[in-house]
Amino acid sequence: MNEKSNSPMLLIGIGGAGCAIARGVNRAFGEGLRYVLADTDATTAGEGEPFLLLGGDRLSGRGSGGDIVSARLAAEDSVDVLDESLEGVRLAVIVTALGGGTGGGATLEAAIHLRSRGIPSVVFATTPFTFEGEARQQNSRGVLSMIEEEANASFFIPLDKLIGDSDNMEEAMRRAVDTLASAVTLFWRLVEKPGYIRLDTERIRHLIANAGRGRFAAVTVQGLDRAPEAVDALARAPLLSEGSGPVRAILCGVLAGEDLRLSEVGKISNGVRTAFGESCAFELATVNDEQTFCGRISVVLMLFEANGKDIDEPQTGSAIAGPRRGRKARNPLASGPQGRGRFNNAEPTVWNGEDLDIPTFVRRNINLDF
Amino acid sequence: MTSIYAALEIGTTRTVLAVGEAESGGRLKVVSHAEIPSSGVRKSQIMDINQATQSIRSVLRENEKNQLAAGNAVTIGNAFLVTSGQHIKADPFQGQAQVGGAKVGAADIEEVVRSSRKMALPRDRELLDIVDQAYGLDALGGIHEPNGMSGRILKLDTLQIHADANRINDARTAANDAHLEIREPLFATTCAAEAVLGEHERRNGALVLDVGGGSTGFAAYAEGYLANAGVIGVGGDHVTNDIAHAFQTTQAQAEELKRHEASAVIGASDGEPRVKVPGSTPLMESRTISRRALDTVVNARLKELFLILREKLEDLDLLHRLHAGVILTGGGAAMRGIDTLIQRELGMPVRVGLPVHVDGLSEVRHPEAFAAVAGALLYAHRNYEEKSLFQTIFGGFLK
Repeated sequence: MNEKSNSPMLLIGIGGAGCAIARGVNRAFGEGLRYVLADTDATTAGEGEPFLLLGGDRLSGRGSGGDIVSARLAAEDSVDVLDESLEGVRLAVIVTALGGGTGGGATLEAAIHLRSRGIPSVVFATTPFTFEGEARQQNSRGVLSMIEEEANASFFIPLDKLIGDSDNMEEAMRRAVDTLASAVTLFWRLVEKPGYIRLDTERIRHLIANAGRGRFAAVTVQGLDRAPEAVDALARAPLLSEGSGPVRAILCGVLAGEDLRLSEVGKISNGVRTAFGESCAFELATVNDEQTFCGRISVVLMLFEANGKDIDEPQTGSAIAGPRRGRKARNPLASGPQGRGRFNNAEPTVWNGEDLDIPTFVRRNINLDF
Repeated sequence: MTSIYAALEIGTTRTVLAVGEAESGGRLKVVSHAEIPSSGVRKSQIMDINQATQSIRSVLRENEKNQLAAGNAVTIGNAFLVTSGQHIKADPFQGQAQVGGAKVGAADIEEVVRSSRKMALPRDRELLDIVDQAYGLDALGGIHEPNGMSGRILKLDTLQIHADANRINDARTAANDAHLEIREPLFATTCAAEAVLGEHERRNGALVLDVGGGSTGFAAYAEGYLANAGVIGVGGDHVTNDIAHAFQTTQAQAEELKRHEASAVIGASDGEPRVKVPGSTPLMESRTISRRALDTVVNARLKELFLILREKLEDLDLLHRLHAGVILTGGGAAMRGIDTLIQRELGMPVRVGLPVHVDGLSEVRHPEAFAAVAGALLYAHRNYEEKSLFQTIFGGFLK
């Protein structure tokens, strides 16, 4: 399925590598995935794929030439086309690779646009291998913090950590795409497939509202001791080993067949909390899918490091509402820290230009002595 | 014929139904009441009509159950609607009439009253109440009884309280779907004032503060009449939401912390320095949070609310006219330390407003939370005497 699916969650692959990852997710997930591919390079488009050519008039479909600014302008030219894919979307997940021009520039514009439309976004972005050179590293570093600022949750995955140094370059790239596609597919199943402890799009929206930068890993194990082995694999996962701040919240998804035992869920839950943060907020979700996970357990783990993002909700009563451009024209009432929580869809209470639905201690920057 | 009335409040946190009956001495007694947690209501406004209808059905059933347990059998057909929310506004409006003779007579007063009812509201607003304040005669103001006085132009200052018609209609729809007719929508805070305020307090100046789940209503009385009123769209739910956000808890956990542990005054509690937060599911372990941090979150929210209120009262030139102090009603009145904080921020004495003008609520745990519905019953009793509001079964209200 493509962008015509009525799923409230949309996968957007941006740039050549982002499109490859999104294709991988589509292959693995199968029927029901709502996705769209976007690139400045027309040759990326595959037959029958939902493809958006970014900045066709500006770049003539020849790509951004590694220039982030060109890619941003191209994406800005094309937000109307992107809008056509956003009907009914409640959560957007962007997969991309930073280092080139389109991955960084267009992802940043997409995140800004989604925010202005009140659609929360989660960005999964790889950062370049060290061997790719300083220019691409700089491209990546320059745009990373801006994407972090605009996306509601962002996961930056260093390719050096995702793939060991034993592979040749082509194999490493292919494996990187496959690994990330598998992980994102698991995340997708976690949200879209039923389970005893359900995590749906609305819950994800709520959870990522304050998420900020995070770390992300997924493991799959089987056998008699699969639960402790899953925890052990996560504890050793390079992608989870270091972050930019302490873990404040954990989202743990357990995906398995009908043989999933309560004791296994308990072991994973306790193990993950012991390994990554016993006192932080913890959210658990399970998916039971016998056909996909028969005999296996997959665990998707997201570690969130900080609060501080906000979602601009669209103005009430309009399907396409709110300012079109994000940073410059954001609703001033919705700016500032997030935390409207249960008041997200209610008429805001405004006093002297402040949205009183946002917690007072957040607006006043009151330091809480925990 | 016995006069019996019902009042319904679809609040943010609870839906309440109360039934009142006129007693032989002229007082009103609440003969039954029921309350259930609300669904589909945010910030005092219905967000999901089906859920609100379910809440109303449940509270009707609960009330019938209570009635039957007391040996009565009554089906309620209609009720007065007690409403709140930041969509409610109060605007002053002055009626004027030329005095027909040398002195003001009954016809002049009738004419000025008629003139004061002519305020045109936009189509999306619905009038909840017109409160007469004071008469004026030419340059003279603050007259309570103008009959017999000399002058040319008679004036009547009123306060017109109105609400978003769509929000009221949503409540009507929800009630109608539950087979309950809405008799008349009433403003919760002035209803509460009816039930709790003494005559001397009206004369000396008092502020009725109705702290609900989704909003806080205020009604300021000075020189014997309602001087102004309004609603701030911040209530107890904001405190809950702030706690949930600060400590990453569920709303239910935050509500428990608010009710049982938090204080509006930092450091006022003599409890343990750390507060236990039970796990939200059996798989979740309990944890502890700092009591001081918890109190800080609650204090910040409530202090801000009362500073906004103070600013509003100053703007209305009322702050220094409320000598009898603050009378606190609504579910939020039970928050620990809230009276002390109000006293500090507004600089006036505070008391909890018990619905003393209505009988039958002495056994209720927090009668101040029933002040608004009790006041609505009083209003009904005074304005709809001798009109039956019930469809009774088994031949009537059996006692």
